Amino acid sequence: MLRKASSFPEEMLEHVLSFITSDKDRNAVSLVCKSWYEIERWCRKRIFVGNCYAVRPEMVIRRFPELRSVELKGKPHFADFDLVPDGWGGCVYPWIAALATAYPLLEEIKLKRMVVSDESLEVIAKSFKNFKVLVLSSCEGFSTDGLAAVAANCRNLRGLDLRESEVDDPSGQWLSRFPDSFTSLASLNISCLGAEVSFSALERLVGRCPDLKTLRLNHAVPLDKLANLLRGAPQLVELGTGAYSAELQPDVFSNLAGAFSGCKELRSLSGFWNVFPGYLPAVYPVCSGLTSLNLRDANIQGADLIKLVSQCRSLQRLWVLDYIEDIGLEELAACCKDLTELRVFPSDPYGAEPNVSLTERGLVSVSEGCPKLQSVLYFCRQMTNAALVTIAKNSPRMTCFRLCIIEPRAPDYQTLQPLDLGFGAIVENCKDLRRLSLSGLLTDRVFEYIGTYAKKLEMLSVAFAGDSDLGLHHVLSGCEKLCKLEIRDCPFGDNALLANAAKLETMRSLWMSSCSVSFRACKLLGQKMPRLNVEVIDERGPPDLRPENCPVEKLYIYRTIAGPRFDMPGFVWTMNGDSV
Amino acid sequence: MELQLGLRSLPTYNFIENFDLNNDGFEPKDQMLGSKPWIISCEDGNNMDNKRSSEVAFGKNTGYASRELPLLLWSGQPNDEDDWNGEKKISCSINKNGEEENRVEGWPPINSWRKKVLHHDQDQVRHVMNSSRMAAAGNYENGDGSNSKYVKVKMEGVAITRKIDLRLYNSYQTLTKSLTSMFAKCQNLGNDAARYSLTYQDKDGDWLVAGDVPWQSFMESVQRLKIVRNAG
Repeated sequence: MLRKASSFPEEMLEHVLSFITSDKDRNAVSLVCKSWYEIERWCRKRIFVGNCYAVRPEMVIRRFPELRSVELKGKPHFADFDLVPDGWGGCVYPWIAALATAYPLLEEIKLKRMVVSDESLEVIAKSFKNFKVLVLSSCEGFSTDGLAAVAANCRNLRGLDLRESEVDDPSGQWLSRFPDSFTSLASLNISCLGAEVSFSALERLVGRCPDLKTLRLNHAVPLDKLANLLRGAPQLVELGTGAYSAELQPDVFSNLAGAFSGCKELRSLSGFWNVFPGYLPAVYPVCSGLTSLNLRDANIQGADLIKLVSQCRSLQRLWVLDYIEDIGLEELAACCKDLTELRVFPSDPYGAEPNVSLTERGLVSVSEGCPKLQSVLYFCRQMTNAALVTIAKNSPRMTCFRLCIIEPRAPDYQTLQPLDLGFGAIVENCKDLRRLSLSGLLTDRVFEYIGTYAKKLEMLSVAFAGDSDLGLHHVLSGCEKLCKLEIRDCPFGDNALLANAAKLETMRSLWMSSCSVSFRACKLLGQKMPRLNVEVIDERGPPDLRPENCPVEKLYIYRTIAGPRFDMPGFVWTMNGDSV
Repeated sequence: MELQLGLRSLPTYNFIENFDLNNDGFEPKDQMLGSKPWIISCEDGNNMDNKRSSEVAFGKNTGYASRELPLLLWSGQPNDEDDWNGEKKISCSINKNGEEENRVEGWPPINSWRKKVLHHDQDQVRHVMNSSRMAAAGNYENGDGSNSKYVKVKMEGVAITRKIDLRLYNSYQTLTKSLTSMFAKCQNLGNDAARYSLTYQDKDGDWLVAGDVPWQSFMESVQRLKIVRNAG
């Protein structure tokens, strides 16, 4: 490779680059000049592919020959809410097969919303001698047979994290496939597994892995066995309990309390399925040190819940059901001054009537009391512009604000006005806002505010909002950093989309379902924009059997250098020049 | 927004025929579109020109003045060809049990994995609970196989109806203690707690005062609870 005499040695640049790990920085480095591009690509160790269809594995392999860690995402985010029909795609096998040949030294694979077969897991298990970390987040398509292959073959495994994945588990015995000589496990998350795992295998595994810092159990691990596990791993930093109920027996209680007391490093707690409140005091010894508490699956209510939370004075992250109510959030605001992230989930999302007293007041209290609040996910049944304006003023550092008012198109319940002003205040005051989810009654005006003020916004989720294409146009033309846009049930049609076609190439993806985009517009977009895949998803049948101006059911547009994909099911059509 | 209504009659699709997304292929056959294709970029500069040219395209005479202009940029009306009238579109979906749910699909945005797991979990948890023996020992009925008994609790004067799992309690005392703490905080009862009584509806639909029958019988027959103010 040609080098100018004045440039410093490759090795020095490589050494400098070894300290640069952020993808954005690495990408910037690679654009400086050809020689930097070359040096950078040879020493890049980690790659993040936000959309597995944006690039082909061969392209990644060709450019980055020395990868040790690959992270991929598959289905669009709305797949979490059943809006993407089964079989849409996101199958990881082609990637795994390619990676297996190209990177024998690969150490980490992290997948999100992908379809992972047992065969894929077997290939992983057998192809990478130094494999260390497997994260399967919201994945599906595999069973405990695949996990057994990983357990049996990955001698240096450090992390196995199955968060929120759907796993077929015919057998709980896979855990026993970790050989007795296997001691390297540092992180294990099996909270999503439905069936029991062999407890004795689990206990022995936990006991012989001195580096185990994260252990998230599934609900099938009974409470009276938890103490044994804890005594075998007092170095734990993150724990997810199993079921938290048992017959209230003094010896079980004191055993458990003693075990918790011994875990001096514990910083994060989760689990708590089916809580029997009588056992909650067993965790009190560790509460003051907790920075993260996830009670999303815990049916604790009232005073028990408030008492637990108010003891966690160092809390930075709280995930909780709306059983916490306004009153509990007031307490939270008073006690937990370091809180940065709050998520409040609905305990009865489909009930017609509220079953708890959780309103906008709770969130306002938290914004008042917790100056470091940055990330909010809040399900509630009523909201006002005034509350949103107050929250915006109290939390200028907000980076992620997701509000879900359960009734679609609910107005400000006091003034009956749309919530445009409230969300407008959020985007205007929270200048670092990167993620926003809207709900309630909203007109095109809110999108005008978003387009004007939300200059750092990267992800926007919209449902049942807006009046016309103007709304979509404001967002596409105004939000410079927009990366992902997902829209459902909004009156957005062809005009805004076609007028902002080039914008779509600057974004990762756009999802629109139950909107008003016509088949004709989709075809046009697909024909004219070769670097976009325009996927029409329609379970009613081929769109060309209907009039061209008929709106499509669902539309998924993403930029890609891989061209159209060929693994589409019968209800997905890619629009491009030839195939339509 | 009144301006929008005046523009309702303008066509939406005609201009697409002449519309070319691609800068290279742009054919200036429609002079009214101006010298620049008024499509694409997000830079403000271009937008300004685009706004002007679109006004020309639609025969508008108004000069570029303020941020209000975006309303005029478009033909402005909601797309006519759909049935969207700002009305609620509720899709009735039939869930796996064949029950018709008057719910909007995928709303509220709860993780579907969690929904499935919760259903599955209920069964699994019951199985686990069976083997680990329930807290309300002595009240556990082997027969029904269900390990929780949720009943609604309504308090006079309180809008929200709560739900509690009676199997967590083994006596009237523990039950009332828990209810007091649950409701007291909201109502600032304090000493007033003495002025309330706990009543329940039994299997026959009758409302009775709680405490008269043995706990076991109470547990078998209670359907719902109500906390009422004492008279006088």
